[in-house]
Amino acid sequence: MVLYALISGILIGLFYGFAALGLSLAFGVLRVVNIAHGDVIVLGSYLAYELSTQAHLNPLIAIPVAIPVAVVIGLAFYRLIAPSLGRSKDPEMLSLILFFGVSQVIEALATIGFTVNQDTLLTGPVGNGSVQILGQTFPNYEPVAAAVAVPGALLVMLYLYRSRLGLATRALMSSRADALLAGIDVGRTSALSFGIALALAASAGVLSIYVNGGVNPSQGADLTTTAFAVVVIGGLGNPGGALAGGLVFGLAEQFAQSYEPNWAGLVPYALLLAVMLAKPEGLFGRRARYA
Amino acid sequence: MKVHHRLLGLTGVCAAAAGVVAVAATQAQAVHTRVSSKAPKQIIVGTLYSSSGAFAPDSIPELDGIKFWVNQMNKSGGVYVGAFHKKIHVKLVAYNDQSSPTTAATLYSQLITQNHVNIMIPDFGSVLTAPAVAIAQEHHQLLFDATASGTVFFTPNNPYIVGSGIRNSAFWPDPLVQYLVAKHINKVAVLYDANDFDAAQAATINSGLKAHGITPVYYQSTPTTTTTYGTLINSIAATHPQAVIELGYNTNDIPFLNTLTTSGQHFKMVFTVFPGQLPQLFQQDVGTKGLKYTYTYATPPLLPYAKVNLGLNTPQFVRAFRKAFPSVPVTYPAMAGYGTALVAQEALDKAGLFTQLSMRRALANVSGKVTTAIGQFKITKDGAEEGEFLPVGQYLPTRGGTTIKIIYPKSLATATAKYPAPTS
Amino acid sequence: MPNVAAGASGQRATSAQIWRRRAIDLASVLVPTVLFALARTVDSNLLLLVSIMVYVVLAQGVNVIYGFTGYLPFGYVGFFGAGAYGAYVAVAHLGANAVEATALGGVAAVLVGVVLIPLLRLRGAYFAIASLAAALALSSIVSNPAVTSVTNGPYGADLTRVFSSGGSYWTAVVIVALAMVSVVALRRSRLGLLLRAVRADQVSASCAGVNVVAARTGAWLLSALLAGLAGAVYAWSISVFYPTAVFDTTISLFAIVFALFGGVGTVLGPVVGAVVLYYVYNAIGVNDPQYFQLIFGVVIVIIALFLPGGLAALALGARRRLGARRGLGGAQPVGGSDVR
Repeated sequence: MVLYALISGILIGLFYGFAALGLSLAFGVLRVVNIAHGDVIVLGSYLAYELSTQAHLNPLIAIPVAIPVAVVIGLAFYRLIAPSLGRSKDPEMLSLILFFGVSQVIEALATIGFTVNQDTLLTGPVGNGSVQILGQTFPNYEPVAAAVAVPGALLVMLYLYRSRLGLATRALMSSRADALLAGIDVGRTSALSFGIALALAASAGVLSIYVNGGVNPSQGADLTTTAFAVVVIGGLGNPGGALAGGLVFGLAEQFAQSYEPNWAGLVPYALLLAVMLAKPEGLFGRRARYA
Repeated sequence: MKVHHRLLGLTGVCAAAAGVVAVAATQAQAVHTRVSSKAPKQIIVGTLYSSSGAFAPDSIPELDGIKFWVNQMNKSGGVYVGAFHKKIHVKLVAYNDQSSPTTAATLYSQLITQNHVNIMIPDFGSVLTAPAVAIAQEHHQLLFDATASGTVFFTPNNPYIVGSGIRNSAFWPDPLVQYLVAKHINKVAVLYDANDFDAAQAATINSGLKAHGITPVYYQSTPTTTTTYGTLINSIAATHPQAVIELGYNTNDIPFLNTLTTSGQHFKMVFTVFPGQLPQLFQQDVGTKGLKYTYTYATPPLLPYAKVNLGLNTPQFVRAFRKAFPSVPVTYPAMAGYGTALVAQEALDKAGLFTQLSMRRALANVSGKVTTAIGQFKITKDGAEEGEFLPVGQYLPTRGGTTIKIIYPKSLATATAKYPAPTS
Repeated sequence: MPNVAAGASGQRATSAQIWRRRAIDLASVLVPTVLFALARTVDSNLLLLVSIMVYVVLAQGVNVIYGFTGYLPFGYVGFFGAGAYGAYVAVAHLGANAVEATALGGVAAVLVGVVLIPLLRLRGAYFAIASLAAALALSSIVSNPAVTSVTNGPYGADLTRVFSSGGSYWTAVVIVALAMVSVVALRRSRLGLLLRAVRADQVSASCAGVNVVAARTGAWLLSALLAGLAGAVYAWSISVFYPTAVFDTTISLFAIVFALFGGVGTVLGPVVGAVVLYYVYNAIGVNDPQYFQLIFGVVIVIIALFLPGGLAALALGARRRLGARRGLGGAQPVGGSDVR
């Protein structure tokens, strides 16, 4: 049981980390609090569902389909809201309220388009079999989710640390004013970061339909809360931190389910509160990043 | 200090004004009575439904069941009202509460105070019925409780509620417990969700088994929001149970069954609540492979009542309902809506006076003597339904799929149980 | 904002201005209270009226904490639920009558507020999410089967012993009055001035000797009290409820949107927001909930992008334009309609 909870916690935790990556990026770079993050995940799930049931494609194909679409939407949408954000005295709070509205819109549209019923995918991402790891048996989507999450996070890291745009993004993350002074096109860099953030959320949705046992339009709020918990635990704006936060969250949840299922619902929230109060910069956040 | 003085003054003036208004308004209230000797133009049936949210999959078919009854009545010239010795046209008023108890509360109030309904049928399930109980009692409005299984609703000093559809969920597992005992299944694992509906069933199973000297090897609750079951299934497997009983809503039963198929674990017996009530939904969301050999409550129409003395019998209902609502599958919630409406029909028929209390007394008199398409109507002194009985069903393979057959009790059985479930 | 400084300190105001201000204050408390008290003669659906009053109080509670301090509580429903269950525990275990239970519900919410004071160390989105996590944690504790002996756990609470629709209605009217008095007093008091100073510029406010922490804590506990009383009177008015009903996060959502729609930081904005939107909700939302949610979402987006001051700002803008046309360009807004 210990071993099972440990492995399952790691696999699901990596998924949680991946699901939170977009939120972390948007907040870390743009100071935009995307409350609709979970709803974008839900849209990703529906894309996978439709591709699988209507076009009979492997649901994982939804990831390459979703990425360009999400980036384009993100670019356009950010351009639309940037003036208001720029004008506001408190852009962080403004974005919080704005995306709260966006999340209501997405949920309403999803309800109109896909009905309220839970939709599930009966064919797994790689067949329906289970996988043996260290003598324990797991549904195969758990390792698949982890196997998508890790390279996904690595790609984001490569982008941030090995590309010119990434360098600009990191400059923006540490100081908007300095980035402007250094001649960085803040508008373009910001919009692109927002697009990438949405693409990450939609990709996570393709895995979420499996990990969360299906998709329904009202799932978004819970997913946002989970993602936020992960981001807060891991520290902001740092892909590695998000994955680490996901691991802590996943392990806590899975061990609670193993030993105290009665209280398993409380654990993520208690953990979130404890981390926020004890170490607001996150367990893996480095203050130096912002200096 | 200035502020405090002003505040005090302000509060004083407010209190005085509120007092004056209170007296005036109370006196202005007209005394509203529900006793009427003149026959109304129409009988208003009021109900709520949820087009969205957690209860929508059950609530929408329940409303369809009621609609079906209303159409039937009006086709035959209306519902017979004994107090006036004639048939009266039926009008249905249905509001949408979106699965929100807060919204439901104001809508129940609206049905009573503004639509002045004659027959009131609350929405599906105890969570949405709860807000109706106190307000109905206050306004002396009888609730025809179709599906609520709440343990706190039925009290000796409240005659304004009558269980007319689904029985209190605390009684549901009785046949299941008998089956487990008869089969000498001694290692039982129970995983239930922390809500009234499921916790009441779990408590019954726990005490029922303990009465036979059996202590469940696993007995845990989990939040109703749970959707990941891998670790829970693994912990259950570690106790080596001979039977696993998962008590949730359909949003829990579906991921539980789906995770089980892919988890690599195999149990000799798996029981869940909702496949028997919403078989079409489970066929779509879980599929044949995940459902095969699992157990559930066999509800009508799976458990047909051929001999009825009120309304259509079960097979007739299934046929007529399919014709009337071709796109809606015939499910237990739909039948519960129909069955409840039949009880209301009986109340209107047999009540000597056209009052809510007279209807309630009439139903007490016919308790145990009426059988409808969903079974016997029999109530306790407090009004709780106790006539209904939910046998144990099992998904057994048929050509090209799998169907639920009744396997216990023997008197109703349509097949023999396949225990332990074969690995396939 | 010279008018705010003059209005709050009251030093340079003439006595006519002072009386005018007092009259406006009194009217902003009395008008909503009396209208709600009279509403039952027009609308016989008392529970609908109680629900609206509950949302008016909640929107004012959001106003107190968000409008005056900038802390946006996504988990505001936690106090509401604490109030409802506080009332249940008072009736079931302490033998309290309904009015005592309502008061104790308010106390229960304040106690929860005290426990959560450390959350005020967080800012912005962190605070919003932390308060939501706290509310969800509280809900998960209250509904746990392990605490059945105290809260009756998942089996639901029953207050039918003290049920009285008239009693809960009048108590709700009194709570509305209390909420209005609180907001008026807060706007006029030193505390309110401090809070707004802090909101405008925390650093210089604290340099000027403002005890920022104490001021904020005061507003936090006041808003907890209002939500607790609202939760308790709501619990009383329906009397049979489950944890999911009183910890429903859409209650926070509604309260926040109503407050923002009407205009936070004002006295009457949240009242108008709650009454208008809740009636609209009851008229459209009930039949076409998805479309209502869609409209709701669009309204929030519009407010965020174009109308951060809500309806109140719109009204104020209209009046300013009107004044300018009449050649009274310099006229300053007074009383409840000035924004921040």
